[in-house]
Amino acid sequence: MGDALARSEEELTEVPGTARAVGATTDYEPLDGFYDEVFVERGRPRPHTRNLVESLDRMGRLVLIDLGRRRDETFRQQGITFAISDPDGTAHDRPFPLDLVPRIIPGEEWMAIEAGLRQRIRALNAFLDDVYHGREIVREGIVPWELVLGSPEFRRAVHGIRPPGGTYCHVAGCDLVRGADGRWKVLEDNVRTTSGVSYVLENRLAMTRLAPEMFRGYRVRPVNQYPQLLLSALREIAPAPGREPTVVVWTPGPANSAYFEHAFLARQMGVELVEASDLVVRDDICYMRTTEGLARVDAIYRRLDDDFIDPLEFRPDSLLGVPGLIRAYRAGTVAIANAVGTGVADDKAVYSCVPAMVRYYLNEEPILDNVTTYLLRDPEQLEAALARIDELVLKPVNESGGKGVFIGPRASDEEIAAQRERVLADPDQWIAQELVHLSTTPTVAAGGELVPRHVDLRPFCVYGSELNVIPGGLTRVALREGSMIVNSSRGGGSKDTWVLASDGDGGPMPVPAPEPDALPRMPALGHSHWSGQEQQQQQARRPA
Amino acid sequence: MLARIAHELYWTGRYVARADDTARMLDGLFRASLESPGTPAAGLSWEAVMAALGVDVDPDRGPIRAAEAVRTLTLDPQSPASVTACIDSAREGTMRVRDVVSREMWQALNTLYLELDMSDLGAALETGPHSVYAFVRERCALWWGLAEETMLRDQAYSYLAAGRHAEGASMMLRMLRVSIVPYFADDGTERAGGSGAAPALLQAIGGLEAFRRAVAGPAEAYPVAKFLLFERAYPHSVAAAVELLHDRLRDADPSYRTAPPILRLARLRAELEFHHRSAAGEDARALADLLEQVQLELVDVDREIEQRYFSGAATQPQVVTA
Amino acid sequence: MRFQITYSTTYEYSEAVRDNLNVLRVKPATTPHQSIDEFTFRVDPESRLHQYRDYFGSEVIEFGVTEPHDRLSIEARMLVTTREQPVDPNEAWDATRETAYRNAAGEYLLHTDGPHDDPRVRELVEAVHGATPLETVQRVSEVIPERFEYRSGATFVGSTVTDLLDGGAGVCQDFVHLGTLLLRELDIGARYVSGYLFAAPRDGGDDSVEVQTHAWLEALLPDGDGELRWIGFDPTNRSRAGETYVKIGHGRHYQDVAPIRGVYRGPATSELTASVRMTRLTADTPAASGA
Repeated sequence: MGDALARSEEELTEVPGTARAVGATTDYEPLDGFYDEVFVERGRPRPHTRNLVESLDRMGRLVLIDLGRRRDETFRQQGITFAISDPDGTAHDRPFPLDLVPRIIPGEEWMAIEAGLRQRIRALNAFLDDVYHGREIVREGIVPWELVLGSPEFRRAVHGIRPPGGTYCHVAGCDLVRGADGRWKVLEDNVRTTSGVSYVLENRLAMTRLAPEMFRGYRVRPVNQYPQLLLSALREIAPAPGREPTVVVWTPGPANSAYFEHAFLARQMGVELVEASDLVVRDDICYMRTTEGLARVDAIYRRLDDDFIDPLEFRPDSLLGVPGLIRAYRAGTVAIANAVGTGVADDKAVYSCVPAMVRYYLNEEPILDNVTTYLLRDPEQLEAALARIDELVLKPVNESGGKGVFIGPRASDEEIAAQRERVLADPDQWIAQELVHLSTTPTVAAGGELVPRHVDLRPFCVYGSELNVIPGGLTRVALREGSMIVNSSRGGGSKDTWVLASDGDGGPMPVPAPEPDALPRMPALGHSHWSGQEQQQQQARRPA
Repeated sequence: MLARIAHELYWTGRYVARADDTARMLDGLFRASLESPGTPAAGLSWEAVMAALGVDVDPDRGPIRAAEAVRTLTLDPQSPASVTACIDSAREGTMRVRDVVSREMWQALNTLYLELDMSDLGAALETGPHSVYAFVRERCALWWGLAEETMLRDQAYSYLAAGRHAEGASMMLRMLRVSIVPYFADDGTERAGGSGAAPALLQAIGGLEAFRRAVAGPAEAYPVAKFLLFERAYPHSVAAAVELLHDRLRDADPSYRTAPPILRLARLRAELEFHHRSAAGEDARALADLLEQVQLELVDVDREIEQRYFSGAATQPQVVTA
Repeated sequence: MRFQITYSTTYEYSEAVRDNLNVLRVKPATTPHQSIDEFTFRVDPESRLHQYRDYFGSEVIEFGVTEPHDRLSIEARMLVTTREQPVDPNEAWDATRETAYRNAAGEYLLHTDGPHDDPRVRELVEAVHGATPLETVQRVSEVIPERFEYRSGATFVGSTVTDLLDGGAGVCQDFVHLGTLLLRELDIGARYVSGYLFAAPRDGGDDSVEVQTHAWLEALLPDGDGELRWIGFDPTNRSRAGETYVKIGHGRHYQDVAPIRGVYRGPATSELTASVRMTRLTADTPAASGA
């Protein structure tokens, strides 16, 4: 790193305006065969990223390194951390790694993405309602019944219940990736307990404080309306006729890796953060235990998996649950977000049916495509996939967070053989996907230089009585060279995501705070006059 | 607010106050013993000190040596009074209510905990205990200062402060009953042989200067006891603690007019004021009785506080039957 | 046949407990072969009861006792009439290969987490594999009690099929879990049934017996007319489930139809006394008066 620094110092002393003024991006080389979000080719930025590139060049490596240090210190002090596990299972808290180079999406491009997301989430919501009632889509043969009834997330205890407004996926996100052709595709749907939005908000705040100059020339759509949107949605679904609804955030507790986000959202929304021991169900109504007795709870934003929420209906050994909660839910006295049982729409096998769902429930053509996926429960697809196992990505149907993902092109012969065994043992539990050549974007490396790293995008949508999509979302970046695994639990980082305001919309640009007035000083009284009098008085009082 | 959180805050306040008061007292005793070597201070035996702090002392044991008392009261993880045990508990409680106290408060307490955990306290206590206690007191003062500066004056603040004052009143009463009352003579003067105990106690708790400013006359057992019991202008007196505890609970409880612990505290405050103004003769025995009554009354208040505000918190486990 | 059944369960707690929530599946189902004539349910301390029918069609009764109490007593009394089922169809295997069969059997065909690859399971699958589906189900009801010992206490509520294989002994619940696993391995829809069995002694003297809730299985079998029927078999007693079997409900496994599930709050331990008394009524036997 010493050499890198020395070199940058040399570079910076070059007189600007000479033929080859060297900036931070001058040596940036996009990877062959991948779409780079900023550079079409070396030295040629896309039109909407020109301002960014200028800023980066102006800043240079030293500034980037220094900003990185300040960012780390800020996050450490604020306790913005995420738990990662060592291979042996021990967990560490590290400050959430925010990369300083934002990811920019032009406004028109976002419009298309947003339309695609809305469509997809409406379809998933309709699917959930159907699955827990008439299961028409199964009767019509569009979705095999095995995918529904065989899913461990299909919750028979809530079969026949319709939550308020028929909304199931109150907080949803469909992870998006961009392929080598630059087209956006959906990688995965998330309608269970989608996490990461707190980092979206914290990243934006950090960027406006650390590097306000990067915003120069851009009108970036704000994201900080998220907590208000979520709170409104929760209040809308709360069954509290004629009174103020009481909303809570339910967390498994400080030991949970996303606890920071639970506490953050509760604080931002101004509602209580409760744990299981704070809640009790009596006479089919859910209450929380306060210093003034029991207070009725009308809507719960829960960050626990269905399995744990009620030992009477689900896992009996769950100490994190509230006995009788499903009874209250069934009686309609409490709303739960996301609805119980949404996981059946969330698994990777059902994912492959989502384009068909869009056609069936909405009568529309899907705007966003899936990544080409093969269901290995089907013997033909299984055979074809195993024949090309070294080219494909294999994923377990019911895992999340990147667990168990097998990447053929990166695997050794032994690993391939082992994976083949695993799949043959239980093909129903596996899907195969074509390898997506994830797009890249400049990311700050240890020496302050910019390198291409792979990214994806997790947008966030809040579905109350209306569907609202936050502009952008969480861009996750794989920090290790060549890696395409972006999950934060496995060493990924994130970037602030900017959706540019198209003409006539968006909010105000974040403006750096004005210099405060200098602190007032004690007014100087007629100084000599005063001391003169004081001296006289002192003389008078002095004992003789 | 959630009963569980209020409960944690109340007890965190108690534990920090306990650690602070204990550290202050041990520090004072050491300084007094340096001035008059032998017992910690003339008339104040280590047995008395341990008893004051609620540590069981076997009466047949014989005199306790300074080193042992100090170790128990500073380091013993099992002892409810030990400074490090209190800091441990306070820190754990704070961890559970991280979202309610400010980041700086957490850092102050956590730093104290880490320092105590990492240092060789046994050695430090032998060579220079003052530095240990001074450090604890500084950090506790920082904690309360930060609470004043950074906490919203909401229920969280009220329960935290209530814990502090509840503990303060209790500690002061203990110390009075054990270390001063034995030196009351019936006529209100001091028994022979007790001339060191009262100023020693005052010095130990850091109230000697305040006493001198407030009371004309020597620091003898009876006047010191009256000062530490009744003087509302002295923030660590029992009367001051009772009043502050009453006020904080009243802030926290919307139904304070009918709340049993608050009514009890209001009555106690009035009684203390009454006895203060009407102590016509120097009736030491009446004072000794009053001290005992007040201590019992505070035990009832304690119980009522737990019942009214915290009993909702589910402290009992859930059992599943198949 | 006609039965009077009294299901009674009492919990004694070592100290007072509160927020005692319970879910019971004890009320017999109404099927083509069974009807309920009377049903009463009582809880002490008295509580409001909520009844509904769950996903599997079982009748569920729920209640909760909020105030502190040290004893909970539940009693259900019922009058049930059962009818003999028609002769079992003995169709060939191909009827089970059709899509219509697969769709009808649905989730009862799906493998849950069972030890499919365990060589002992593979061997048992071979052993029960008969010339027809019916024969296979019959073999399951014979082979299991042959190979495994019926012994209470050998397993517990959370035991798995592997525990049964390892220990060689279990109770009706374990036998049924194994039986359904074997049938599903052979693509026969099989479901777990919970109910009451009038296990009168062979000499037929007694008409009133103490029993426990019992478990058996039902298999989906094609009959000659292109219909599919769920037919009950009992691997514990190596028999067909006939008139002496009173069904409460079915599911994929025990957890779907557990007779009683409860949670309470308190440090206490509980002692359970449970009994089921079944009395066979003839035409002139008056039913014992219910409360």
